[in-house]
Amino acid sequence: MATALKPGARFKSAVCETQVMVVKAPAGEHDLRCGGAEMIAPMATGSGEPDPAFASETLIGKRYVNADESLELLCTKGGKGSLSLGSTPLEVKQAKQLPSSD
Amino acid sequence: MSAVLAASADAAPDAAGDAAGSAADTAARYRDHLLATLGAAPAVRVAPPAEHPARAWARSGLMTLCGAADGAPQLSVLPLTALADGALAALASLAPHADLADQRGAALLAERAALMGLQRRGATSAGGACRLLRAADGLLALSLPRDDDWSLLPAWLEAPAADWAAVEAAVREREVDELVARGRLLGLALAASRVEAAPAPWLRVHAGRSWPGVLAARPAPLVVDLSSLWAGPLCSQLLQRCGAEVVKVESTARPDGARRGSAPFFDLLHAGKRSVALDLHSARGRVQLLALLRRADIVIEASRPRALRQMGIDAEALLREKLDLSWIAIHGYGRDEPQAQWIAYGDDAGVAAGLCAAQQLAGAAPCFIGDAIADPLTGLHAALAAWASHAGGGGRLIALSLHEVARQAVQFEAPRDAAGWCARRRDWQAELRPGDERAPQARRVHATAAAFGADTDAVLARLGAC
Repeated sequence: MATALKPGARFKSAVCETQVMVVKAPAGEHDLRCGGAEMIAPMATGSGEPDPAFASETLIGKRYVNADESLELLCTKGGKGSLSLGSTPLEVKQAKQLPSSD
Repeated sequence: MSAVLAASADAAPDAAGDAAGSAADTAARYRDHLLATLGAAPAVRVAPPAEHPARAWARSGLMTLCGAADGAPQLSVLPLTALADGALAALASLAPHADLADQRGAALLAERAALMGLQRRGATSAGGACRLLRAADGLLALSLPRDDDWSLLPAWLEAPAADWAAVEAAVREREVDELVARGRLLGLALAASRVEAAPAPWLRVHAGRSWPGVLAARPAPLVVDLSSLWAGPLCSQLLQRCGAEVVKVESTARPDGARRGSAPFFDLLHAGKRSVALDLHSARGRVQLLALLRRADIVIEASRPRALRQMGIDAEALLREKLDLSWIAIHGYGRDEPQAQWIAYGDDAGVAAGLCAAQQLAGAAPCFIGDAIADPLTGLHAALAAWASHAGGGGRLIALSLHEVARQAVQFEAPRDAAGWCARRRDWQAELRPGDERAPQARRVHATAAAFGADTDAVLARLGAC
């Protein structure tokens, strides 16, 4: 199963507490997973435990990207599972530089 | 506006009794209010300038920063310059040997605008990064100081938004609270423009002792300052004037962004401070940072609590280890959840506190008040809290927020209702004299700031943090 990822769309993990919001994504359908299991709609009910191979946890406030940074997710709630696109793990994006002034 | 402002008994002992004759003593009353919060009764109280708040506003140069670009400069209906003078007088009262005699609280609010040549732009902040936006049911302020912030807008609005016109169009039909909630989830700095009735304290003691009644002389403190931009650096700069040695610590990967901004302004806030740059992504850098923090008498930081925790820095644990430490945390909205996650800059935090909404209650058009004014106001209050805590033996984690400091400024001796705000605006307008209105002035910049990391080795060696 794969899902279209629109900016602003929200998903939650089926197997841990993780929640994300899509910041940007390429067009088309994507196999977005957390803890090795496909991510589900915010109101859906999940079950099970994270796959140990995808259990290096998510951190609230961090942004997660794929290799070319065409996909970017914001973690809005942390959990035990880790994010992946298919079986390819997503990486934490470097913190934004501080602005020069406000 | 959603709420009518009620003066709190604590924040505004003279509410509605603010007779014309006593308006010139606003700064002195505010000084006494701040000292009372700190449980401090210094033998001698330094007198702030006695000046009507309206005339002080015009003379400070802040008036030229308020109002539409093509319209007349606007009076603020809040005694902001008097409050800054009162806060500085409170600090000077607690630090009798400080080199503060040539400083003017009111001038600290306007000096960045003076050095950067900023001007009023109505619903755009003087600095340019923040805008007032009209949503279906009210106004909100949104700051986008980095190009990268724009990348969050499609997720915020669920629609493309490449420029401010597109943002304005997209928010017009939506409700303020929903826009703000969703934006905060994404880490945008934004806020509803409202005057809130609930009284706000200007500081919160999160851990440690209550305030002492007696302040004793202590050796000059070592300040380790992890903050950036304006509020935190101004705080440590004022502590430097009180005799502190200040070590500014930055991450090699993420230096203070103000280094890329106005050089004279950076020099003004940083000359004479030591500059230490550490690789905070490495275990060694974190060990070095921890060693520096263990030597500090006062720590200033302006990070979200989770960012420090994720780096292994635990303020509460350090306080248990070093009993006379004063830890000053400067936040946007505070340290408790969920506010701890919300980011803020000086302009949007001021709007959140009601600076713009009070102006509207008084019958004026909405505009930004001053230049990121919550930043210098908070820096000034943070310096007072830090010095009072240190002089009283330390042992506290004190949190201040841009939002609460500015909110307290809105509430101090505030009129009780819209009619009162309108009357104040009329009365204050009548106080202005020809020639009162001046351009913003800056303190003289005497020296340049240390280059990034210039003192890293020397400081680490001296403080045994290698």
